[in-house]
Amino acid sequence: MSEPEKFDLVIIGRGAAAFSAAIKASELSNGEMTIAMVGTGPIGGTCVNVGCVPSKYLLEASHSVFKPAHPRMPGLHETEVKYDFSKIMEGLRSYVSHARDSKYVKVIENYSNVKLFTGLGSFLDKKTVVITGPDGKEVGKVSGSNILIATGSHPSIPNIKGLSNTGFITSDTIWEMNELPESVAIIGGGAIGLEIGQALLHFGSKVIVIEAMDSILPQTEGEIREALKKELESEGMRFYLRARVSAVSRSGNWKSLDVITHKGNEKITVKEIIVATGRQPNTEYLNLERVDVKTDPRGLIITSDTMKTSASGIYAAGDCVSKNMFLETLAAREGVVAVSNIFGENIKIDYNSTTWAVFTNPQVAGVGMTEREFSKMNGSCSTRTFSLLNLTKASITGETEGLIKIVVDPKDNRIVGMQILAPNATDIITEGAYAVRNGYTIDDVISTSHIFPSFSEGVKLAAQSFIRDISKMACCVE
Amino acid sequence: MEKEKVKLRIYGMTCDDCVSTVTAGLKKQKGVIDVKVSLKDGTGEVNINNKEVKPEELLRNEVFTRPSHYKAIIIND
Ligand SMILES: Cc1cc2nc3c(=O)[nH]c(=O)nc-3n(C[C@H](O)[C@H](O)[C@H](O)COP(=O)(O)OP(=O)(O)OC[C@H]3O[C@@H](n4cnc5c(N)ncnc54)[C@H](O)[C@@H]3O)c2cc1C
Repeated sequence: MSEPEKFDLVIIGRGAAAFSAAIKASELSNGEMTIAMVGTGPIGGTCVNVGCVPSKYLLEASHSVFKPAHPRMPGLHETEVKYDFSKIMEGLRSYVSHARDSKYVKVIENYSNVKLFTGLGSFLDKKTVVITGPDGKEVGKVSGSNILIATGSHPSIPNIKGLSNTGFITSDTIWEMNELPESVAIIGGGAIGLEIGQALLHFGSKVIVIEAMDSILPQTEGEIREALKKELESEGMRFYLRARVSAVSRSGNWKSLDVITHKGNEKITVKEIIVATGRQPNTEYLNLERVDVKTDPRGLIITSDTMKTSASGIYAAGDCVSKNMFLETLAAREGVVAVSNIFGENIKIDYNSTTWAVFTNPQVAGVGMTEREFSKMNGSCSTRTFSLLNLTKASITGETEGLIKIVVDPKDNRIVGMQILAPNATDIITEGAYAVRNGYTIDDVISTSHIFPSFSEGVKLAAQSFIRDISKMACCVE
Repeated sequence: MEKEKVKLRIYGMTCDDCVSTVTAGLKKQKGVIDVKVSLKDGTGEVNINNKEVKPEELLRNEVFTRPSHYKAIIIND
């Protein structure tokens, strides 16, 4: 039996959480901490290879095709954009490879204290990780006083009769596609399903979304998700809500789905099926029971807010952690929190002021508590929902189908939550994040300068709507 | 009193002066009984009275907090 190679820190995984942890640890130790980074799959993990980066690339390309064909200002002619889908996908893959190289591969080469190991890591004991190659044979062992689990997640595949024989794609495989499917059925109406769905729709596919719950994006405020659904429907997306796919089959080049809806059974026939029913953590092969690392019923690792697991010296960060939001930014922050605490800093993860987003057009972004969450916790709450119909910038661009909802603690007018549906919601939500994190009140937002005319001004008007009727307000009222 | 030996990996030490600074800093901390710091290994062995100080509290010692450039983690063999 080979002796393990010793390190100060062993990181299992090589995605966002792993990289941010390794870089933070290197910074804190002035490049002296010896770190082993054990990982499978392409460097950079989900976000750069099969997640945030390719999905946002595809969406942007699709909007460039869709928007000229659907002008929103009088006098602009509908213009058909000619495009080559396979070249767009080639461009996407080449951008992903560039981003992986410049943001991950080259970056980690600068850290001589970090040694990369390729293979699947699993615990031998609380300090030792065995690395196995693709053939299942051991390729090495590493040990460390501190271990960070940052193994991420992968798409979960529902148990539907005929699904694997019929064939389907997921957010892991769609990026290899070269031909636009004429029609797609997307199983799952969450962020990933809607983003991919709208991208394909904007390129010209017929898109049907089948969702088991009674709404899309269940974590969002009712008004916001309803407005988004209406907008997607107006573009041609079709929805089956409270519907389940019971079986799937293939006939020639077509794929059929048997859908059980509350109105009865229906058969849907499409060219391609996309499964977007959520993700499950990569914790199965880690041998967590051996080291007493506790998981929740979904297999996600339970941690404290300092990212410590139930086993001393073992931390976890990223999509493998038990929580409600799964984001690149959060994975990176958790990596930093874990490492800072290894250095004794005692810092905590703050989920409440974490911003999240869905990159459809219009985009959805949010921070803090929803009306329902705050009311449940506090007994009462005060909210206003501002329509972009009342926003000058939105009226100029013709993009008025948006809302800004602010949730306030009625005791002291502190902003406890904000959700935005707007073309650039992902940019303007940061104001909500500052407000929630620092306990700003609606008066703080009102007395802060906002550019006129801009979408960010909408946040100020949403705050003003707590004190006056916005529809009767001149645009210069402070 | 419960005596406990805590092993630290100490980063940022380049000379004997660093060893003296880190040793003196740790010795000042309540609950620390004795300290042995090695420049060669970049480690420290600290005997503590764990009723008075927790091992993790050693990492928050002034000598390991900014503006000091030394940092430490706990290592256990
Ligand atoms: C389509 C899509 C779009 C997304 N868009 C966004 C977005 O716009 N914004 C956003 O913030 N988030 C987005 N996300 C979420 C984001 O990508 C993830 O939250 C983030 O990448 C998680 O990072 P991680 O480091 O936890 O895991 P990962 O990046 O998944 O990294 C884990 C790594 O560990 C490896 N691994 C697994 N098991 C083992 C093992 N036993 N041993 C060794 N290595 C192992 C994996 O192969 C992988 O390389 C998106 C996700 C998807 C799928």
